[in-house]
Amino acid sequence: MLLELKQIQKSFGEVNVLKGVGFKLDKGELLGLVGENGAGKSTLMNILGGIFPPSSGEMRVNGKNYHPKSPNDALNEGISFIHQELNLFLNLSVAENLFISNYPRKKTMGFSFLNQKQARKKALELLSQVGLSVSPKSPVERLTAAQRQMLEIAKALSASPRIIIFDEPTTSLTRHEAQKLFQLIKKLKQEGIAMIYISHNLDDIMHLADRIAVLRDGELISSGERQNYTIPSMVKDMVGRDMDQFFPHRNTVPLKEFSLEVKNLGAGFIQNMSFSIRKQEILGFYGLVGAGRSEMARLIYGLDPMETGSIIWNGKEITSPNPVQWIKEGVAFLTENRQEEGLMTLQNLEKNIQLAALPSFTRRFNIIDYKEVKKKSKTQADATKTKYHSITDQLVSTLSGGNQQKVVLAKWLLIHPKLFILDEPTKGIDIGAKHEIYVLANSLVECGSSIMLISSEIEELLGLCDRILVVSEGQITKEFEKEEFDRSKILEAALHKAGKEEQKL
Amino acid sequence: MKSFFKGGYGKSSNILIYVCLIYYVLASLLAPGFFTMNNSWNILYNLLPLLVVAIGQTYVMITAGIDLSVTSIIAVCSIAGGYVMSSDTSIFSDPESIFFGILTMLLVGMVIGMVNGISVTKFGMPAFMVTLTTMMLFSGFAIWCTQSQNIYNLPEPFVNMSYSFFLGIPVPVFIGVFVLVLAYFLLNKTLFGEWIYAIGLNCEVAKISGVKVHRTLILVYMFSGFCAAVGAIFYTARLETGSPVMGQNILLDVIGAVVIGGTSLFGGKGKIIWTFFGALFMTLLDNSLNLIGLSFFLIMIVKGAVILAAAMLNTLKEKSLKTTA
Amino acid sequence: MNKTTQRILNNSTLVLFAIVLLTFSILSHHFFSFQNFFNILVQASSLAIIATGMTFVLLTAGIDLSVGSIMFLAGVISGKLVVAGFPLWMACTLVLVIGVLFGLINGAFIFKAKVIPFIVTLATFYVGRGLGLFISETRAVNLPESFLKIGSTKFFGVPAPIIVMTIVIIAGHLVLTKTIFGKHLYAVGHDEVKSRKAGIPVDGLLLKVYIICGFCAALGGLVAIAQLGAISPTFGLQSEFMAIAASVLGGTSLFGGRGSIFPGTLIGVLLIQSIQNGLVMVNADPYLYTVITGGVIFLIVLIDSIRHLQQKKLKRLGIN
Repeated sequence: MLLELKQIQKSFGEVNVLKGVGFKLDKGELLGLVGENGAGKSTLMNILGGIFPPSSGEMRVNGKNYHPKSPNDALNEGISFIHQELNLFLNLSVAENLFISNYPRKKTMGFSFLNQKQARKKALELLSQVGLSVSPKSPVERLTAAQRQMLEIAKALSASPRIIIFDEPTTSLTRHEAQKLFQLIKKLKQEGIAMIYISHNLDDIMHLADRIAVLRDGELISSGERQNYTIPSMVKDMVGRDMDQFFPHRNTVPLKEFSLEVKNLGAGFIQNMSFSIRKQEILGFYGLVGAGRSEMARLIYGLDPMETGSIIWNGKEITSPNPVQWIKEGVAFLTENRQEEGLMTLQNLEKNIQLAALPSFTRRFNIIDYKEVKKKSKTQADATKTKYHSITDQLVSTLSGGNQQKVVLAKWLLIHPKLFILDEPTKGIDIGAKHEIYVLANSLVECGSSIMLISSEIEELLGLCDRILVVSEGQITKEFEKEEFDRSKILEAALHKAGKEEQKL
Repeated sequence: MKSFFKGGYGKSSNILIYVCLIYYVLASLLAPGFFTMNNSWNILYNLLPLLVVAIGQTYVMITAGIDLSVTSIIAVCSIAGGYVMSSDTSIFSDPESIFFGILTMLLVGMVIGMVNGISVTKFGMPAFMVTLTTMMLFSGFAIWCTQSQNIYNLPEPFVNMSYSFFLGIPVPVFIGVFVLVLAYFLLNKTLFGEWIYAIGLNCEVAKISGVKVHRTLILVYMFSGFCAAVGAIFYTARLETGSPVMGQNILLDVIGAVVIGGTSLFGGKGKIIWTFFGALFMTLLDNSLNLIGLSFFLIMIVKGAVILAAAMLNTLKEKSLKTTA
Repeated sequence: MNKTTQRILNNSTLVLFAIVLLTFSILSHHFFSFQNFFNILVQASSLAIIATGMTFVLLTAGIDLSVGSIMFLAGVISGKLVVAGFPLWMACTLVLVIGVLFGLINGAFIFKAKVIPFIVTLATFYVGRGLGLFISETRAVNLPESFLKIGSTKFFGVPAPIIVMTIVIIAGHLVLTKTIFGKHLYAVGHDEVKSRKAGIPVDGLLLKVYIICGFCAALGGLVAIAQLGAISPTFGLQSEFMAIAASVLGGTSLFGGRGSIFPGTLIGVLLIQSIQNGLVMVNADPYLYTVITGGVIFLIVLIDSIRHLQQKKLKRLGIN
C-alpha cells in the first residue's frame, strides 16, 4: 500500500473539522475525493501535504510512518500538492517558474550563476512530459489558463512525485482543455503515479476515478469502487438527502413583453450579438470558458465600452450604459469573480450588502438614512439565508464561499432588481448553497423579474432556464427553446465552431 | 472577531487619547513654560494648520492613495494669495483684497487637487508618482514665479486674523473646527463618505456596484487640495508673508499624524478623530521638545523615531488580534 | 490605434529622450558634442549608482525614501573625519559601512517588525537627515583637496566616476539576470505569499535588498562628494525622488516584479541628467530646472499609464 491514512482527527480550537477519517491509495490509482465546502477535504489534504499536522491519527507512506512538518517534507516523501490557485509568477519565464526553488547553477569566478543551458534542457524534458509545447523562455503571463495548469503539473513532476494531489484543477479550464488534462492524468496513472483528485464536478470524478471517497461534516460517509457510485448517489452522500427537487419548480411562465433587447452588440471579438429577454424569463447562456459570455455581460453593463449595437431597456434605448444608470433602472450584475469584483472582503457584511443600494437611502444633501439601511440590509442577509455571527462585526473574508456569494446576492437583491445578470453564480460553491441560490433565482422570477444566467454547468441551465443561447467565439450561434432542450445537442453547438477553427490550424 | 473590527480600531484612538493626556501631564511637569496660557495658544495655533492638512491627507489615504503634493500646494497657495493681497502687487484695495486673496488660495488648492485627481482617475497614473511629480512641478513653479523671494506687505486684518475673534471664538479655531466638523460629517454621514471607504477597500467592486469612482476620487483630491489651501491661509497669516518654500518641512508631520492615528496606507480604514489625536500628539511633541531647548534637527530625529514606533505598535496589535481571532 | 503610435507609446522614454537630445542640440551648439556627453555621463554617475540600488528595492514592491539622508549622513561623518585628519581610505570605507548599516536598519524594521517600507524609510529619512544636521551643526562641511582628486582621477582617460558607475551597473545587471537571487527578487515583487510558498527566503532577501540600496546610496553619495568638494546642509535632498523617477522612467514598476537596471534604469538616469545638463547649456533660469524635470517625468508617467490602460482594454476584449 502506497499511502494509508487511519483515524485522522483535526480540531481547530474547539471545532472538530475532521472526526477520524481514513483511506488507502495504491500505486497508479486515482481517488476521487468529494464533499461540500467545509466537509473537511482541504483540511485532510493540507495535513497530507504537510501544511499542518493532524491532532491525532496515523499516516503511512510505503508502510513507513509519515509525519510531515512542512510542505518540503511532503515533497521529499514524493507527495506533490497542486493547489486550486496556481503558484506561478506571471512576470517570470516558464523555465524560471519550473526551477524557482532549485535552479541549476554553475560556478564562474567563484560566483554562483544560473546555468541556463541545463535549465533549458531539463525544462524541455518536463514540458514534453506534460505535452506542453511552449518555449522555456516565454513569459508565463502569455500562457493560457490551460497551459499554466500544465506548467504547474510539470513543476510538480520535476520533484518526481509518487502521489499528486489535485485540488479543483479544472475550474479555469475550458471543456476541451480539461480533456487534455484528463489525458495527461491517465498517462501519469499508467506510469504508476497515484493521485487524489478533488472536484465539485461529479462528471469528472465519475470519468477519472478508480475509487471514490465522500466526506461530509468531517466524516467519511462512504468510500469504494467507482462502479458502486452514480452521480445521484454521490450527491445523496454529500448532502445527506436526495437530489429530488434540486431545481425548484416554477409556477409562472414568461410574459410576452420584453425587458431587455440587445441588438448587434459588438466590441473586440464580440460580434453582432442580438437577443432579447422577456419579463419573468430565465435566459441561459451556455458556452466554453472564453467564448465571450462574460465579456458580453460586461459590455451590456457598461464596464467595457461597446463599439457597435444598441441596448433597449423596457422600450427605451440606453445610449451609454454604465453601472450607475443600470442600478437606477433596477439591473443587477453578479460577476464571475466573487473575490475581486463582488466583495469588499475586509469589510463587514452590512456595508457590503448596502453598497449598491445606498443612493436610494439618501435624504437631503446625500445624507444616508442609516437606520433604514441597516434594517433592510439585515432583512436581505436573512432572506438569502446567509450564515453569520454578526452583521456588523464580522468580516466577509471569514465566510465560506457559499455564504460570500449569498452576501453578493443580498447586495443586489437590495436594489430590487428587475433584471439580474448572473455570471457563474454557483462556481466553486457547495451543493447545499447552490440549491438555495436556485430557489432564490426562481422566486425572483416568479415575482416578475428576469434573469440572464451565464453558466458552464449545463445541468444548471437545463434545470432553471426557459431558453438557452449558445455562445461561441464571440457570437450567439444557436438558440434552444425549453421543449428542445437536449444536453448533447447544446454541448455540440458550443463545441461546434471552436472545433472547426482548430481543424483549420 | 469583534475586537478586530470594532473594538480593535476603536481602541487605537482611545490609546492615543491617553498617550496625549499622559504626554501633556509629563510635559507640563518637565518642560519649562509648557503649562502656560501663552504656550497653550501656541500649541493650538501650531495644531490647526497641521490638523487641517492631515484631514485632507486622511481622505486620500482612505482611498488607498497618497498626496505628497500638499507641501507644494501650500507654497503655491501662499504666493498666489500673497500676490493678490500684498499692497505691492494687488489690484484690489484693502478689504476686497483679503476676500479675493482667500478665494484665490482656496481655488488654487482645489485646482491642483483636481489635476492630481484627474491624473489618478482618467489616466490611471499611480497616486504616488502623480503627487510626487506635481510636488516637484508646483514647488518649482512657486520658486520660479517669485525668483525665491518672499512676498511682504500683506493687509493688516489678514495678518491679524490669528488674534481676531468671531462670535467670541478666535477666527483660526473657528475655521479649524469648521473643517473638522465638515470632514467628519462628509465621511460618516453621507454617501460620499461611504463611497470613499468602498473605493479604498476595492475599487473594482465599488465601480460595479454603482459607485461614481472617478468623480469621488477627483473630489477627494480636491478636498485634500482645499485642506492644504486652508493650511496655507493659516501659515501665511502667521508668518505675515507669502513664501514659495512655505510648508516644505511639514510632509513628515502630516503623514506622521495620519499614520500615528491609525489610518492604513492600504486604504479602506481611517477616521477623522484618529487623525485629530495624531496631529495633536505631533504638535505636543514638537512644542515640548522645542521648549526644553532641542534643536530642530534633534526634534526631527525624535519625530522619525516616534512615527516608526507608532507604526510598529500598530502592526504588532494587528498581528496579535489576528492570531487571537 | 495603429501600429506606429503603439510603438511610440511602447518606447515612450526613448522617444522622449530623443526629443530632449534633439531640442537641446538645436538650442545649443555645445550640447551635441563628445565632450558634453562625457560630462553628462560624469554628472549622471552618482544618480545612476543610487538609482541602481533603488531599482532593487522597487523590484520587490518596496520603496526607500531614506537614500538622500544616507548620502548626507555618510558624507558628513566621513567628511568630518577627514577634516579631523583621518586617512582618506578609512573615511571612504566608513561611508560605505554607514550605508550598509542604514540599509540593515531599514531592512530589519521592514522584515522583523513588518512595518511597511514607506513608513520605515520616511522615518529613517528624517532620523538620518536630523543626525547629519546635528553632526554638521547645519553648516557646510568643506572637504580637503584630496577628496576632489578622487573625483577627477582618470584611468586610461576615463574619469573614475564613470568607471565606478559602470561597475555598479554591470554588477547589478548580472545579479538581476544571471543569479537565483535576481530571479527570487522578481518573484517576491510579483507575489510575496506565493514566494513564501515556493520556499523562497523572503525575509533574508528583503534585508539584503535594503542593504544593497543603502550601500549604493552611500557609494553614490561618495561619488557626488568627490565631484563637489563640499557637503552642504541640503546635500542629497530629493535624491530619493530622482532615483525613483529614474527607475520608473526606465520601466520599473512601483508595484514590483517588473523592470531592469540595464538598459532600463540607465536610460532613465541619462534622460534626467541630459535635461539638467541641457538646461544649463541653454542658460535657462535655474529656478526652472525642477519645473521642467518634474514636467517631463509627469509626461512619461502619463504616457506609460495611458499605454497600460489601452493594453488592459485590448486584453480584456481578447485582441492582442
